[in-house]
Amino acid sequence: MMTSRRKFLKTAALSGASLVIGFNGVRLLQGAKTSAPFQPNAWIRIDADGIVTLTIGKSEMGQGVRTSLAMLLAEELEADWTHIKLVQASPWPGSDLGTGGSDSIRSSWKPLRQAGAAAREMLTTAAAARWKVDRSSCTASHGAIIHSPSGRSLNYGELVGDAAKLPVPQDSPLKDKKNFKIIGQRTSRIDGHDIVTGKARYGIDVKIPGMLHASLERPPWDGAKVKRVQEDAARSVGGVRSVIKLSRGIAVVADTSWSAIKGRTALAAEWDDPPKDAFDSETHARRLETASRETGFITRSEKAPAGTGDITKTIEATYHYPFYAHAPVETMNCVADVREDHCTLWVPTQAPERLQNRVGELLGIPADKVEVNITLIGGGFGRRLGFDYAVEAAEISRAAKAPVQLLWSRADDMKHGHFQAASVHYLSAGFDAQGRPVAWKHTKAGSFHNISPLDPKEAHDVAWYQDWSWGAYDVPYAFPEIQTAYVTVNLPVKHGPWRAVFAPSSVFAREAFFDEVAQARGADPLAFRLEMLKGADVIKVGSTVDRRRLRRVLEVVRDKSGWGASIAKGHGRGVACNAYFGHTYIAYVVDVAVAPGNNVRVERVVAAVDCGLVVNPIGVEQQMEGGIIWGISSALKGEITFRGGAAQQSSYADFEVARMHDTPAIEVHIVPSDGPEPFGMGEPPVPPIVPAIVNAVVAATGKRVRSLPIRPEHFRG
Amino acid sequence: MEKTELTINGAKHVVQVDDDTPLLWILRDTLGLTGTKFGCGVGVCGACTVLADGQAVRSCQIPCSAAAGRNFTTIEGLSPNGSHPCQRAWLEEEVAQCGFCQPGMIMTACALLRENPNPTDGLIDKVMSDSVCRCGTYPRMRRAIWRAAEQMRSPKQ
Ligand code: FES
Ligand code: FES
Repeated sequence: MMTSRRKFLKTAALSGASLVIGFNGVRLLQGAKTSAPFQPNAWIRIDADGIVTLTIGKSEMGQGVRTSLAMLLAEELEADWTHIKLVQASPWPGSDLGTGGSDSIRSSWKPLRQAGAAAREMLTTAAAARWKVDRSSCTASHGAIIHSPSGRSLNYGELVGDAAKLPVPQDSPLKDKKNFKIIGQRTSRIDGHDIVTGKARYGIDVKIPGMLHASLERPPWDGAKVKRVQEDAARSVGGVRSVIKLSRGIAVVADTSWSAIKGRTALAAEWDDPPKDAFDSETHARRLETASRETGFITRSEKAPAGTGDITKTIEATYHYPFYAHAPVETMNCVADVREDHCTLWVPTQAPERLQNRVGELLGIPADKVEVNITLIGGGFGRRLGFDYAVEAAEISRAAKAPVQLLWSRADDMKHGHFQAASVHYLSAGFDAQGRPVAWKHTKAGSFHNISPLDPKEAHDVAWYQDWSWGAYDVPYAFPEIQTAYVTVNLPVKHGPWRAVFAPSSVFAREAFFDEVAQARGADPLAFRLEMLKGADVIKVGSTVDRRRLRRVLEVVRDKSGWGASIAKGHGRGVACNAYFGHTYIAYVVDVAVAPGNNVRVERVVAAVDCGLVVNPIGVEQQMEGGIIWGISSALKGEITFRGGAAQQSSYADFEVARMHDTPAIEVHIVPSDGPEPFGMGEPPVPPIVPAIVNAVVAATGKRVRSLPIRPEHFRG
Repeated sequence: MEKTELTINGAKHVVQVDDDTPLLWILRDTLGLTGTKFGCGVGVCGACTVLADGQAVRSCQIPCSAAAGRNFTTIEGLSPNGSHPCQRAWLEEEVAQCGFCQPGMIMTACALLRENPNPTDGLIDKVMSDSVCRCGTYPRMRRAIWRAAEQMRSPKQ
């Protein structure tokens, strides 16, 4: 890759021309003129050296988005994959670079390919004109235009000068998917080499001239006042420059990271004792449980059609879902350089525009005076949709009058997370005299997240409440009568989206309770799912659920896992499935072993996924594996608990996450899809894995598990 | 602040830092070797793992005073241009997701294979489970270690 790049750089010296194609959200923009400065909001730039520079408008946090977006472009452009270079976009007025909701690939699918196709067409026209031949006799391939009849060819780099003078075609035909050469191929991560050699630069690795380092001591609970603090002791630590009181705590600013950390320890800050009614997760769980009995806001209501048997038997259950932290390995951090009338940030973020606005507000400068450089992200999972750490860094830099890197400690990261909120789910099912299930009821008591502004106007809208209960209101099963509801319970600690947003709790409760219904019916849980996915093939309930696709993934895991074979004592097999927001269909069969010491081990996971058109199979497999491991963490490892208003955990030692020895054998089957478009894969694997594990544990122990994480006391004795 | 001579990736560096400064911060802040990551600073994540005379150690737990006289290797010095069998195997198995934990994981695996050219799965699990990958790249990491082990036993070009 590097050799060929260098070779081409020689040609570059001969000409300063380049072809730039931008997209303003509506139209493809005119190609830039010779030597035009690179516009950060351009999608593509092709230089005279043949290098194609693609500006990525999405944050890379391990989901492989840089690679998959480059693949989309390269496909339509017929680019040479080894000549693609990536640049990270910075927000501009009107941009929308937020990364979340597994939406990147879907929202980029059309515009990126359209831009690639337009560039290809312009280059083809330029070549045909140069050769004075008919356009239709020219083809694009591997970064060159070829005229087969005469055997001539020109590299893109040689054509950009001419092509840049042409108008940008707006509706170049896109390739038929059967002609794809890159999309759908197993493609290695574009930044893989940088990662294994330690060259990949994350937020934490940013260093700018004159940069100081900061550590921030925050109040343990919201509103706590400091009782005692040894500011002088902190100042006397070598390398400490200043101790600064801020709205969010006490910052120690120093020459090095270590001096900042030591200085902060020297502060020995003591805070007020929390009030008696300070937030406590146990009390909160009881409040949620009480709320789950209320009617709440009805998110879906279907009355049984005439002729449905009367309900003669009802079963009910309450499922508890705890708080979790995101706990990415790279802790929150940001470099801020605040000047008189502008500010520059280097920050691992999923929400650059909201961050930009908020920092602008803080500093009293227009948002466009806040330059945001998005770095690689060492794990996002939704945590970096919040931007508290960037606001803190800007505040510290302003006070310190110097560029500052703020680095959170691991304990800061655990205690001041934007947690996945706890919820309680009350479910019931009704059966008729023949034992047929006729009614399904699911009430979720949870909390609206509070880390970004919500529009209260929407709070009377059913779509609003559905948004907070993915996985509950869109229950895919054909119960004649269905009622789902959401009850809001105020939550005073910071909480926000997590991997798979709000779906994990709802899908856990739904799929685990569905097994209870199957058991009451005396049915096999997998066969019973298939049976209950009959009826209309496609249901529209806010989002669209295609039951055929869900049935297919279930059939695949049934066939591949040997479902139904007998299992040794102490072992259990469970199933669960989900349609993620109507886009991505996933089913799992999980085998667990429950050791005599009551330790649960996940031994094998057989997975089937239909995520629409597959851009990069490697990416799909990686996200499936990662989502499964994530689910093992939440099913079997750590939770966050609160006492006295503060999170009690402070590292991976007390908020445990899955490690290598917790890793099962994983088989991922990508089910061929007739879906015409791709969908993101960062989140969908997460929700159904936990209930599949739960159902397997129930199968192994014969005891119901209705709360997480699964603990031996759930099934002991 | 005393001057301390450290050997990192075969080169001698004289640094002037407080005695208690962890090697991690010397590497990152003083020497600009940012491939070694901070993940916890308290020895529970493994992101800061480097080799000390071939053994895997957590650089956040080694104060400067204990670093003198030992030969350290960081991810940057593991091989010229990423050619170490572990690095190659890591790429061939497509291990990385966000990549942040990976330098520490690769260094841990290198030390394991150096001592045990033919590790059992049990040993791989035991050694690698001291480190955290929140992205969940463990299945591929395991395969990469098998592959690297094979490579190292019968190196073919
Ligand atoms: S940073 Fe050293 S073990 Fe986590
Ligand atoms: S690859 Fe992201 S933490 Fe391991």
